[in-house]
Amino acid sequence: MTRDPLLMAWAALVTLSLAGAGLSLVPAGSVVSLLALSLALLKGRIILHRYLGLAHAPRWRRGFDMVLAGFCAGLAGLALLI
Amino acid sequence: MTDLIDELPGEPMMWVLIVSELLVFGAGLAALSAMRLTDPAGFAEAQAHLDRAGAALNTVVLVTSGFLAVLAVRAAEAEREARKRACLAAAMALGVVFLVIKGQEYAAKSAQGIDWETHAFFTFYYLLTGFHAAHVVAGIVLLGLVAVLRDPRATETGAAFWHMVDLVWVLLFPVVYLIR
Repeated sequence: MTRDPLLMAWAALVTLSLAGAGLSLVPAGSVVSLLALSLALLKGRIILHRYLGLAHAPRWRRGFDMVLAGFCAGLAGLALLI
Repeated sequence: MTDLIDELPGEPMMWVLIVSELLVFGAGLAALSAMRLTDPAGFAEAQAHLDRAGAALNTVVLVTSGFLAVLAVRAAEAEREARKRACLAAAMALGVVFLVIKGQEYAAKSAQGIDWETHAFFTFYYLLTGFHAAHVVAGIVLLGLVAVLRDPRATETGAAFWHMVDLVWVLLFPVVYLIR
């Protein structure tokens, strides 16, 4: 049985969102901040690839992935300075 | 160059808008992150007043709404108009749910006497989440418009705007609600 990539994407997004909700229940700290941004990066990539269709546009996908990862890395750097 | 633009899914001008919006929200989130360094304790204390559970629920609401918008695009491409409209209506309804939850959060802040001048954190909070909520309203209107058009390209363009709103929220959530 083949699974619809879109359905898998939605399931992954809900799972990652619930994981993000779980982070709101634990004490703050650098690890929580890094995990929260990592989850956001993963969710952002899924939205770009599966919802916005960049999975079928490899050059654009690479560009958006790089910029998104760079942005999240910048936010992570600032979060680590707190 | 034309080849590269042709590779982009959907309407290129919508991608220009998406990138522009991401840059604006990205600058706002970066500014909030930088300002937090000037008063970490004050920002954390202010952030403690936020409804993290409601915001997390809103993330699930928006990603599910985005899923329905993609289903609407598929239905439009298959010329299944009734299914397309049903998916768009459901996506719009979840957009309204998002706004109701957000409205409750704003009402709770107001009841606590918190406004955008209470602390620098709340200035960013109201600017970023308020601007995002305005985009949710615009997205609901746009989805409503494309629902009545028999044009798969229009449905794809409207859905792309909705996914941008989704993407912005996914990035906004950890910066505003979780990092402290």
